[in-house]
Formats: sequence, C-alpha cells, structure tokens
Amino acid sequence: MKQWLNKENRKSIVIHAVLLVLLMIWMIPEIYMFTMALRTPAQVFDPSLFVWPITWDNFVTVIIDNPLHVFFINSIIVTVMTVLAVIVLSSLFAFAISVLKLPGSLVLYAILLTTLMVPIASLVLPLAILLKNFDWVNRYLGLILPYIALGVPFSVVVLKAFFEDSPKELFDAAKVDGCNAFQVYWHIALPMVRPALVFVAIWQFIVTWNEFFLALVIMTESEMKTLTIIPMQYSGFYMANPGALFAILAIIAIPLIFLYVLVQKAFVRGLTAGAVKG
Amino acid sequence: MNSTPLDMNVSYVRKRSILRQFGRYLFLVPATVIFMVFIAYPIAWVVTNSTFDGESVALGNFVGLQHYLTVITDPVFWVVMRNMFLWAAITIPVQMLIGGVIAYYVEFYTERWRTFFRTLFFIPVVTSVSVVSLIWIQIYAPYYGIGQEYLKLFGIELANSPLGDPQYTIFALIVVNIWQWTGFSMLMYIAGLSNLPREILDAARVDGAKGLRMAVSIIIPMLSSSTKSLLMLGIIGTLQTFPVVFLMTNGGPNRASEIFGTYIFKQSFVIGDLGVGAALSVIVLLIAFILSVLQIVYLGGQFDSDNKRNTP
Repeated sequence: MKQWLNKENRKSIVIHAVLLVLLMIWMIPEIYMFTMALRTPAQVFDPSLFVWPITWDNFVTVIIDNPLHVFFINSIIVTVMTVLAVIVLSSLFAFAISVLKLPGSLVLYAILLTTLMVPIASLVLPLAILLKNFDWVNRYLGLILPYIALGVPFSVVVLKAFFEDSPKELFDAAKVDGCNAFQVYWHIALPMVRPALVFVAIWQFIVTWNEFFLALVIMTESEMKTLTIIPMQYSGFYMANPGALFAILAIIAIPLIFLYVLVQKAFVRGLTAGAVKG
Repeated sequence: MNSTPLDMNVSYVRKRSILRQFGRYLFLVPATVIFMVFIAYPIAWVVTNSTFDGESVALGNFVGLQHYLTVITDPVFWVVMRNMFLWAAITIPVQMLIGGVIAYYVEFYTERWRTFFRTLFFIPVVTSVSVVSLIWIQIYAPYYGIGQEYLKLFGIELANSPLGDPQYTIFALIVVNIWQWTGFSMLMYIAGLSNLPREILDAARVDGAKGLRMAVSIIIPMLSSSTKSLLMLGIIGTLQTFPVVFLMTNGGPNRASEIFGTYIFKQSFVIGDLGVGAALSVIVLLIAFILSVLQIVYLGGQFDSDNKRNTP
C-alpha cells in the first residue's frame, strides 16, 4: 500500500514538473515582451531572454511622449458599448426563438446561423463603403455597429442552448401569474442564464478588444484609433529603440491579461456549464 | 354575422392577442435590423459588385464573370488557396493535439495547480494579436532574435530569418498562430473533460483500461463534441486570419505568405480594384458557406443543443 502511494506521488510530481517546464517554454514570448521593455538601448540587440540590469526608463518615456490614454479610452468605449449591445440584442432574440417560440423565428435563426462562418475579410470592403456613405468613418458607431452584427450570431447560439435547458415550468408559471413576455424575459429568463451571459460578455470583450481588420480600415484618424492598431504605427516610430516599442506592447497587453485573470473563473464556469456544445 | 356581446368579446380578445403576438416580434427586431444592414446588405453588395466594373463606388458596366476570371487566373490566388489549406490543415490538428494533451494532464492529474495552469496557458489568447505579431518578429529576427539563438542549442542553424525565406514564411506564421490559440483548444477540452461522467471512467479503470488505451478508446470518443466545435471554430479562424500575416510579412516575401485577408486588403484598398475585391470576397463567402454545409451534413449540427449524449 505504501509502495503504491509513493508511486502515485512520484507520478504526480513528474507530471507537475513536465507541465511546469512546458508552461515556461510556452510563456517565453510573453516573458520576452517584458524583458525587452526593461532594457537600455545598448542591451536590446542582445539575443538572450534575460538581461541584467533592468531599467524602467522605456515605460517612463513612452508614457510621457505618447497619448496612450486616448487609445485606451477609444478601445474601452468601443468594446463596452459592443458587449452591452450584443448581450441585449442576442438575449432578446434567443428568448424569442427558444422560449416564446414565435412562428417563423426559427427561419430567421437559420439565416443567422449561416453567417456564423462569415469571415470579416469578405465584409471589410462593403462595410468600408457603407460606413463612408453613412459618414461613420472615424466614428465610434462605425466600429460598434458592425461589431454588434458580427457578434450577435455566436451569442444567440450560446444563449439559445441555455434557454432551452432551463426549466419550462418557470416560464409557464410566470405566464399564469400574468407576466407579459417582456417581464418573463427580464425577471425570469435573464437571471436564469446568468452564467451564459457572463461567458458571452467575457468572450465578446476579448474578441472586440483585439479586433484588428475593421479597426484598421475604419479608424484612420490617429486620435480615433483603438489599441490593437497602434503597435503597427509605433513599430516604425521606435525602429531604432525596440525597448520603447516593447514597453508600449506590454502596456497594451497587461490590462486584458489582468482582466482575464480576474474573470477566468466565471469564464471557465460558463464554458463547462455547456456554453459551447457539441 | 349578428354581433352579440359575446362575439364582440371574442373578437376583442382575439385582436388583443394578435396585438400581443405582434408585440412579441419586437424581440426579434433589433438583432434582425442590425444584421440586415451590416451583414446581409454587405453580402448583397459584394455579390452585385463582383459582376460590375468597379473603378469608383458607383456601379460601372456589367462585366459578368470577368472579375472571377481575373482572380482565378492570377497565380497569387492559388498561392493564397495553398496557404489557407496549409493553415487549416496544420493549425487545427496541432492545436487540438497539444491542447488536448495539456487539458488531459491538467484536468486529471493536478488539483491545487489546476487554475494556475488553465489560466496561464490561456494568456496568449487574450494577448492582443498585434502585440503577439511584433513580439514574434523580434523572436524571428536574424542576429539578435532569441528564436535563432535558442535553436542553435539544438544544433539548428538558420541561414536567415524564416520570415524572409519564401519557402518557410507561411510555416513561421503558422507557428505563431498555433502558439497563440493552443490555450483555447486546451480550455475547450477541459470543458469537455470536466463534463465526462466519472462513473464511466471509473468503470473503465476497474476493467483494467488505463493510460494510453483509456485515452484512445474511451476519452477521445467522448470528447467528440469538443473536437467538432474546435474544428468549426478552427476553420472560421483560418478564414478570419489577417493581423498576424499583415503585420509580420504583409503577404511577402514575394507574395509567398499571402492569405485571403491580405489579398483582399491589397486588391480593394491598395490597388483600389473594387470589382476584383468584391469577387474575392464572394469566393471567401462561398468557401465558408460550403465548408459549413459540409460540416453540418457530415458532423451533425454545429452547436447542437440537444446533443446531450456523452457516451460514445
């Protein structure tokens, strides 16, 4: 018995060690980003992961020299508005097809489903022209509205599955009690699928925050740019000083990494509760 | 036709219920409107414009399928097709394999460290893709990049940066994509594994199945729903690919790493040939559409909510 325990223990230690080594290798690019940002101009062309001594000068320089907060605010406005709208629109839609079961709504759902696969690449050109006609180029709405349209289908699929899994009796009871459709939606359906809403919100946040293609085409004025497109413009600007460029990269990457660490529990819970099914 | 108070009452109720029924359709309106304007209309636009002369925004002459002919006779188009095929054929299985193995060990053999591993392996997914691209340019850089420096430790000496060699560029980019998205495959498999009924695993263990045999004959079949989702998301992801290539090589050198995103971007916004850009967009849409139909036919519903069977 003791032998067996030892064997299990040994196996567990080996697995932990292997996973840890793999993780360290996997994290090299992320670590490299930070160690590059902490180098002096003399050290940046040293082909090694860690360089000593470190300096915080790059962070100071890039923060003083550049209006990074403007891009942060742009990203936050675009992302938060998109997430909120996707949640509202897709939950209303999913509620109508899976709980109210409105005649004809399943056809709409099927049409929506076919666009799950529509790549942004094929819509960039017409969207650019459409938004130009609306005079929405370089406006927040010019990004937010297409993002909502592209985000709704996936979100509807997830929420529909959750609505269909929730107990029908509750909806019926509410109807008998005289609730109208909107009251059922607001007071019963939404609270019931909260884990799914949180999951969809987190995923939509990550996707929107990092979207590149449309942002590149629509936001051409520098003060309207979102965070994902500014590294490109700084890569030329700081060509001779990669340390400063990497400080900017780190500043851009950290908030979302930090945010994910904070919400990862809810995200994984939503995912394991069956947010994305077979 | 003689209208009694009772009849009036019935018709009043019916009218009210029709009104209410109509009111319920308001639930569908916002999503449908935004979908029509920003997805359906653009699709109709590219389909129409792909058959017209497109010097400017206004429609020119009808040219039939001429733009499509231009596209398929362009050798770059076939480079794009090859690259997209390689992209899907390599990234999807490799991510599934690495992600699945990590998920298996993290889920079944760790306890206190589980959240730690789950979270950190997922970090590349939430790192902005433009940040990731610039980091990897630096890693691949000749002379001062750490990539080549560390490969020397294994006796691999590269003559120049893999990004500068037309033969290897696409593979160098695929490596970046795999690195960024493997954490996502891991998390999908963790979700699948955590939903496996423990009794079946225990029963199999009692029957003497363990290690590799257990994984191959019991766990992998039971994860087929996660695998299907990953396959679909992988294909969408492949067709969506843009920033990594745009930022790291912009389709170069000599257009060897061109993909749909960069190709459409150049045709539409750099060269300004809207007709050809629209034709390309339609081709991408068709490919996406055909692949999704194939998947539904061969793999069953993409997100089938009724598919609750966890048993193989």
